[in-house]
Amino acid sequence: MSNHALLNNVDHKDLKISRKRNADMGDQVMFCMTFPVEFRSVQHDYPIFFRKDAQTGEFMPVAMFGFEQKENLFLKDDKWDAGYIPLVMDRDPFLIGFQQDRETGEKKPVIHINMDSPRVSNEEGEAVFLEHGGQTPYLEKVSAMLQAIHAGQDHGKAFVQKLVEYELLESFTLEVELNDGSQNQLIGFYTIHEEKVNALTAEALADLHKEGFLQSIYMVLASMSSIRDLIERKNKTLLNK
Amino acid sequence: MNQQVKHIVILGGGSAGWLTAGVLAAEHMANDANGIQVTLVESPDIKTVGVGEGTWPSMRTTLQKMGVSETDFMRCCDAAFKQGSKFAAWHTNNVEDAYYHPFSLPAEFSQHNLAMAWQQYREQVRFDHAVSFQSHICDRGLAPKQIATPEYAFVANYGYHLDAGKFAQFLTQHCTEKLGVKHAQANVLEVKSHTNGDIASLITDVAGEIAGDLFIDCSGSRSRLLGEHLGINNINLQRYLFNNTALAVHVPYASQDENFASHTLSTGQQAGWTWDIALPSRRGCGYVFSDAHTSIDEAEQVIRDYVAQASSAEYAKQAELKQIKFNPGHKQKFWHNNCVAVGMAAGFIEPLEASALVLVELSAQMISEQLPQNRQVMDIVAARFNAKFSERWQQIVDFLKVHYVLSKRDDSAYWLDNRDDSSIPQSLQDNLNLWRYQSPWHFDATHTESLFSSASYQYVLYGMGFETLKRTHKTQSQAKLMQEAERLFAETARKSNQVVSQLPTNRELNLKIHQYGFQKI
Repeated sequence: MSNHALLNNVDHKDLKISRKRNADMGDQVMFCMTFPVEFRSVQHDYPIFFRKDAQTGEFMPVAMFGFEQKENLFLKDDKWDAGYIPLVMDRDPFLIGFQQDRETGEKKPVIHINMDSPRVSNEEGEAVFLEHGGQTPYLEKVSAMLQAIHAGQDHGKAFVQKLVEYELLESFTLEVELNDGSQNQLIGFYTIHEEKVNALTAEALADLHKEGFLQSIYMVLASMSSIRDLIERKNKTLLNK
Repeated sequence: MNQQVKHIVILGGGSAGWLTAGVLAAEHMANDANGIQVTLVESPDIKTVGVGEGTWPSMRTTLQKMGVSETDFMRCCDAAFKQGSKFAAWHTNNVEDAYYHPFSLPAEFSQHNLAMAWQQYREQVRFDHAVSFQSHICDRGLAPKQIATPEYAFVANYGYHLDAGKFAQFLTQHCTEKLGVKHAQANVLEVKSHTNGDIASLITDVAGEIAGDLFIDCSGSRSRLLGEHLGINNINLQRYLFNNTALAVHVPYASQDENFASHTLSTGQQAGWTWDIALPSRRGCGYVFSDAHTSIDEAEQVIRDYVAQASSAEYAKQAELKQIKFNPGHKQKFWHNNCVAVGMAAGFIEPLEASALVLVELSAQMISEQLPQNRQVMDIVAARFNAKFSERWQQIVDFLKVHYVLSKRDDSAYWLDNRDDSSIPQSLQDNLNLWRYQSPWHFDATHTESLFSSASYQYVLYGMGFETLKRTHKTQSQAKLMQEAERLFAETARKSNQVVSQLPTNRELNLKIHQYGFQKI
């Protein structure tokens, strides 16, 4: 189990978070979960596919960073080489925890921190708290990200449910030929079936539009143009070899 | 008479009736004005027998064709996966002496006959363990798929264990609400005939007169239409397969999270065998035996002892037993005039290889595919149907009998009588003679779509210690096989280890089916 702690300005007053982006920091991942609320930003840099959660079999949208396990083509010189970093990656090492209100019994989201993360130290990186215990702008940003994730989860689930209901998802295999002639296959991912979207009835379209899902669908479709960018990044790594 | 077949009337509302209704209604579009009309007449007073809790993998296709969601089916019918059968204490009187007949074929079965290569290693490794990764999954109580595997797809081939009563209810709802089957709940008072002997209509107590062009008799062992009305006699099979009585019982789990098996456990007993079928909410057990070889009191003791081991001594004492009597056998013909029998109305035999529901599926499928357009051509289809299913019944007799014939048990007259030549069909005797010198292989399936493949025979034969001798001369293919065999045995071991580390237990997956369900893709 990871060592998760409730963030507070007493225990963690001197805490600093490294913002370096590299394998040592755990950034070398092929994809991460994403949410419709950030699709507009994500689709600009990353293809959005769907993947099944191994524990539940439920689909979830993911932003792609590479073509094989542990490949993140956006890591470069300890930085993330893109204008937007998906929420799930950007919030690290912070996460949402829940605390029960003693009086109302209500569960409230609170900020937890993974103390085992290599990002965490007292020496290097962004400060979390100000000298007298106030929140740094960085922490305020983290807090906003976590809130977006919290809200985005339910909304994202509702989005996927609609896609399943209208049978808009299809499994696909992406075959990529690289400049060196090697063939690469991406399997186990799903995408939105564009022809099925085009064939939807007016009622179905209105239903999807109601909660903004229609726009999310088009964002996913638009993200397919980022596949080319991803292939180019991969080809560049071949040149450097 | 050149009457069009536009209205099919099915009598009987058990699994046989509703499965047949579903298969026909889905294919012939009963819910469309231009389709065919399907009416199922069910007596509100007759209870279904509720046997047949095991299916073959074919049930997946049957349900899929009917447009059933696998998640709904599994949730509503208390269904679990079945990956095959395990036979214990059949070879010798020792429950540790056991083998599987799994649903997955031996590795690369279409090309290589591993049975011949395995003979050299028979002292070191069991046949099922050497050639089938599925036997290793079953050993560990693991499921044949993951929650992320799409519905009806698998990692290891499977059928189902299910609650037959709930299954009939589930199909009733699906057939009437989705497939356009008309449901008449009424008792049949009288059967009216045309002058040529065809059935014209059923006179019922509360649903009036129901006329039809084709009548399907799913009325159970009573065989109200084909047997009682049309007078078609039975062919008795008791001289081959002695069992004619069963005592069935439900066995609870010790706790809600107890894991369960995804194979039917069949254990040889003094005058028959016990079945043990695990559903998510309970186990269904029973003792099927020959009443000529034991008394009912002795039989009751056998099943109560079994339950005591499976559950507790207290439960075994007070558990309610249900007695079922049957005449092992089938009708002389299944389709006569404009009436065809499906399910127990056509025949019944001990459920050793769960042949009951698969015969229903195959019957419904053939009726559906070959459905005569009019009365004029019906007799041609009927003759083909009769030939096909007589053949299948013979295949069933041969395959069930082989389980008994190869036993070395001599602890009761039952097992000895089962090996008496007079009780062994000639076709099986011939095959067994041949298999001394060459293992069962594709050529043995003399009929296309034979009910039991040569793989099934291999699992049983070599599970029961049968020995096939090496050829006395060298052959080209044997030399090649030995090269391939090493690779395939290693591959089976590798695959076993891999899937065993990835698959959830049956209980874990069942909980997830209820919580999340399977995706369609």
